[in-house]
Amino acid sequence: MPNVTVYSTPTCPWCHRLKDYLKKNNVEFEDKDVSMDDVARDEMVEKTGQMGVPVIVIEGHDPIIGFDQEAIKDALNL
Amino acid sequence: MQYDTIIIGGGISALSAAVYCGRFQLKTLVIGEKIGGNIILTESISNYPGFKKISGMDLFDKIKEHALEYKIDLVGGKVDKVKKVNDYFEVSAKEKVYKVKAIIFATGTDWRKLDVPGEKKFANKGVHYCALCDGAFYKNKAIGVVGGSDSAAKEALLLSEYVKKVYIIYRKGRIRAEPIILKRVQENQNIEIIYDTNVVEIKGNKFVNSIMMDKPYRGSKELKLDGLFVAIGRTPISDIAKSIAVRTNKKGEIITDKNTGATNIKGVYACGDVADNKFKQAITAVAGGVIAANSVYRFIKNEMPVLGSSEDS
Repeated sequence: MPNVTVYSTPTCPWCHRLKDYLKKNNVEFEDKDVSMDDVARDEMVEKTGQMGVPVIVIEGHDPIIGFDQEAIKDALNL
Repeated sequence: MQYDTIIIGGGISALSAAVYCGRFQLKTLVIGEKIGGNIILTESISNYPGFKKISGMDLFDKIKEHALEYKIDLVGGKVDKVKKVNDYFEVSAKEKVYKVKAIIFATGTDWRKLDVPGEKKFANKGVHYCALCDGAFYKNKAIGVVGGSDSAAKEALLLSEYVKKVYIIYRKGRIRAEPIILKRVQENQNIEIIYDTNVVEIKGNKFVNSIMMDKPYRGSKELKLDGLFVAIGRTPISDIAKSIAVRTNKKGEIITDKNTGATNIKGVYACGDVADNKFKQAITAVAGGVIAANSVYRFIKNEMPVLGSSEDS
């Protein structure tokens, strides 16, 4: 399984859905809360050039912005 | 797979229609771009009978689970095109073409856009539509909220917890918020209201750094901002329905018969927030889905559905 990082905020409903989806599919991921973690916030902006959450970074793939279930499914071969 | 009907949409109205289509044993495909719909943006619902308090996400999950009890298919994705061919419809989605006898549009609504230069270019780069989602990026920054409704005022209050300064920019002279909300806005030291003013352009380099207004505020039409939250309501997603000549009203809502959810096109039904029902609530969206499903059954089978026992009714 590739390394998976999720950039999210605790109040963002689509972030919850994305994380639920990963959990349901037994995908391990690191969750970075960009509302608290300034370093993670800058890292996300640098990687994606934008400030919308959620963002999921799957090793070997371009970052996926928003909860794009199909793109995530493809990238993780689910 | 051959389907009888396709439900376009991924919210509670679509999934409620799916519960009934499933029970009627119609071969049903639900295609939704956003599985969950707008209800999941609501933190707490207290007016859905049977639940004193439930989050939008939990309510959606319960309805989805219920729908999946039946033999229906649910997929995430976008419907690209719908074409009417004789007495059936061709629905193109996910590189496949489905032939169905009936369609239910439960496509919901999207954020209404300002439609000014820079809005598209800076989407998620300073222009946002969901304070709950993206507000956290503006800690100690100056931001604007466009709009004067109760929800715009609530967005401004929410954002004022993170940011240094919130400007509410509203085209009219009075904020239309619930009195208690309005009082909180007026007493909030971080919030300033700019009345009778329109945003005409959003400017920046990589990210937003200012907006242009149609009237000067404190001597300048340009206002330095790090972000702009647009809260001017929602707009129905009815373009695909319109492409097969489904009639809509001035707001773009699909015109439906209130007893059946039927549109002007035979075999096409609509429900939920995209339909022209006046009282838009979670419970009415659910009811609309159920009514549309019942009509689809009657249309396809040319008969009234018969439900099994009293516990089913």
